[in-house]
Amino acid sequence: MTFTYGSEKEEWLKDVTAVWNREGHKTAAGRTILVNAIPMGSGECIDELIAGTRRAHLTSPASAAFIQLANAKWRAKTGRDLVGATENLVLSPVVIAMWKPMAEAIGWGKKPIGWQEILALAREPQGWTTRGFPQWGSFKFGHTHPEASNSGLIALFAEAYAAAGKTRDLTLADLRRPATAQFVSGIENAVVHYGSSTGFFGRKMFERGPGFLSAAVLYESVVIESYSPKYAPPFPVVAIYPKEGTFWSDHPVGIVEAEWVTPEHREAAKAYIQYLLAPAQQAKAVPYGFRPALPEMTLSAPIDAAHGVDPKEPKTTLQVPSTEVIDAALDMWRQNKRHANISLLLDISGSMNSEGGARIGGAKAGARQLVEALGDADRFSLLAFNQTARWLHDGVLLKEARPTVASTIDSLYAEGGTALYDSIDAAYTRMSARGAKDDRIRAIVVLTDGEDTNSTLKLPGLLDRIRFDGERQTIRVFTIAYGSEAKKDVLQQIAEATQARSFEGKPENIRAVFRDISAFF
Amino acid sequence: MSESPQLTWMGKLVLFLFIGGCLFGAYKLFVKPASAPAGAGSSTSATGLLDRLSGNGPAVEIGVAYGTEKKRWLEWAVEEFGRSSAGAKIKVKLIPMGSLEAAQAILKGDQQIHVWSPASALYKDVFVQEWTIQHSTSPIAREEPLALTPMVFVFWQERYEPFLAKYGSVTLRTVSQALAEKSGWAGIAQRPDWGLFKFGHTHPNESNSGLMTLVLLAHEHYKKTARLELSEILDPAFQAWMGAFERGVSGLANSTGTMMRDMVLRGPSSYDGLFVYENVAIDYLKSAEGRWGELRIAYPALNMWNDNPYYVLNTPWSTPEQRKAANAFLDFLLSEPVQKRSLEHGFRPGNPTVPIKVPGSPFVEYQRFGLKVEIGAICETPRAEVINNLLASWQRNQGSR
Repeated sequence: MTFTYGSEKEEWLKDVTAVWNREGHKTAAGRTILVNAIPMGSGECIDELIAGTRRAHLTSPASAAFIQLANAKWRAKTGRDLVGATENLVLSPVVIAMWKPMAEAIGWGKKPIGWQEILALAREPQGWTTRGFPQWGSFKFGHTHPEASNSGLIALFAEAYAAAGKTRDLTLADLRRPATAQFVSGIENAVVHYGSSTGFFGRKMFERGPGFLSAAVLYESVVIESYSPKYAPPFPVVAIYPKEGTFWSDHPVGIVEAEWVTPEHREAAKAYIQYLLAPAQQAKAVPYGFRPALPEMTLSAPIDAAHGVDPKEPKTTLQVPSTEVIDAALDMWRQNKRHANISLLLDISGSMNSEGGARIGGAKAGARQLVEALGDADRFSLLAFNQTARWLHDGVLLKEARPTVASTIDSLYAEGGTALYDSIDAAYTRMSARGAKDDRIRAIVVLTDGEDTNSTLKLPGLLDRIRFDGERQTIRVFTIAYGSEAKKDVLQQIAEATQARSFEGKPENIRAVFRDISAFF
Repeated sequence: MSESPQLTWMGKLVLFLFIGGCLFGAYKLFVKPASAPAGAGSSTSATGLLDRLSGNGPAVEIGVAYGTEKKRWLEWAVEEFGRSSAGAKIKVKLIPMGSLEAAQAILKGDQQIHVWSPASALYKDVFVQEWTIQHSTSPIAREEPLALTPMVFVFWQERYEPFLAKYGSVTLRTVSQALAEKSGWAGIAQRPDWGLFKFGHTHPNESNSGLMTLVLLAHEHYKKTARLELSEILDPAFQAWMGAFERGVSGLANSTGTMMRDMVLRGPSSYDGLFVYENVAIDYLKSAEGRWGELRIAYPALNMWNDNPYYVLNTPWSTPEQRKAANAFLDFLLSEPVQKRSLEHGFRPGNPTVPIKVPGSPFVEYQRFGLKVEIGAICETPRAEVINNLLASWQRNQGSR
């Protein structure tokens, strides 16, 4: 039985599903129920089912909003719901996670805090200086991509509700008000970048510290995770439950209503859900920071002040908007989000001809996917490099240039050596030269399949030149180690130096890798 | 050494005929005529005969569509019934369904249902009327109340006190005033951090307690306990009042148990108060303490009994054996030990010989949460056309929400 689920609960589900599979549960017909539990983004759980790319029998995104979206899309296609009745597996409120001294600087612990305070900080050109802490620099905010991840979608709803001064019945008229757009764009302008995974934001915030992010929209369970001994952050993290209200990530689980789900799958799914909801499995969710879905289980450590959270919060729950309002909110966000300025550096050295041409073919398909996924208001540059680097597009607006950029990508062929470091340096220098006036998310995406053979600059020199410093050097370099010969460790160092992320890809999955990268913007 | 006695061939024949005769006699005694309804054990095969002789005959299966407010009590009762001699050959299949949802399923001919046990008799007249139009016979062979429970308000204790301080009492009218308070708790108790006043009841089209809420809203509006008239339901002033109340209500869950569970799991962030069955509130009193704090129960001045009727159905798909089995299960449910158990689940037993105020009873143990044996004035169940129009008006109001 295939079970796709929102990755926030991965550690708990890995733990209890391994036990289930070891125990050898059987259906009435005597067949062993083996659960193949696959973690992914909540949006992906639904997209895969609608597209039919993976035939899951059971699914559990992080919140009911995704079930609502999935059912609306499926009804439009088939006239039926895609996911039937659901039960909540575990609960965790969506919170604004902030370093404790920063939270205290805006009044946390003395008065209720919410989106209004976040907006005020985000609009402050002097950042933390206005709160008496110039050493903290600008206010750096983060949430995931609303089209890819539950917490990002929830953050968008919460911003819109706060702008409208409501806790329920958000309407299209509320979204059309200029004040709502101004509120949302005010907050979004402080976003360092988006992303596809809430867990990634959390982990990177705890590893990289307050220079990377001042605050991020996370789940309460992720805040609790920051107290794990594996992290050594300079300050503790606390959960702000926005005074305007928030949402629960309630992890609904439901059987997929599709032709590939047999009565035996249904029987197996019911037995597995019953197992997950039994007290023993629910108790195992608590150490991972989740609130159990059984009312008779009391809330205890780590859901307490010692782990930065308050079991008596939140005070107000917001209502999930209707499907048409969700669609309109996403449209409004696309227009008011922080736009991006992206340079794609594509390796066209001779080694890219390997695998019968599949390598260069895959890279071109992935690059087109990135161009397709970026927004109309994003700017795009393309630098193709072998032993020399050639700018093929420079800061074009995608709304106008998307077809031309796609044609350019199609026209590329592979030959020559690899001047990786020089090319990254050239792209970084060019983007830096545009200076601080560029208020977009600035990032370089590098795809390469081998080691540097032709640069005059060496790796340590490059790392010195691009290293992230929180205020002046803020361009991020995302890297893709493409194929088995790529130098993963080198590319990892480059990404880490700029507080970005390194990916691994091959021709078969490169489109998915580019899709993941596009969720950062 | 002498040989053991041997039967002659004639002796063997006599013995064979004797055994055959016995088996035939047993067959005649136990096997019902071939015209007996299917599913009632009419098998004439040798296996069927031997099964009957050995006491392994096929069980009679009955489906009981019930409201989930009785879930824990009925699940326990089904297990106990299976262990009893009366229930040894009867398989009871519990089918959890909203009260109104079950009625619709029976009207559409859902053959797995042989017993309908909604939370109250509120929708019975509408159901009987619609069935009779189609079939010209009554769909109910026997009916008994299983256990009683009134409607109650359940609040978080910390919200109940300031509510009472502001409005003096908890009634549907004062709840309506709190729902209309635009600044929410800031205006009610100078607590802006508590947000809006959040109150819930279930979906009137799917759950009995939601429909019960609408009926009691009407009684409250007209301040009377009997004879609600159609003209009163259609009166614009009442419609406006009900519309305003309903626009303020949160949630609309499809089952009372689910809604109460949500209140306990998510705390006052989802609901400050609910209008639910007393037994459902009792079931969650203890677990709430470990999550968000104490709950408080308050009784409306005008109330109605949910008597959890048990209707043995007289439908074409229900065989005499199934009706007999349904009656046997009903008798078991009304027996004293099973009725005593219903008390533990917060019900007031339908069997009047079972006392309520006994040590260990929630009505003794949980008095500090506001539980009382005496409740307010009891309203009469309105006529089918009144209920139908109340539901239709509510639906129209929802459309404009």
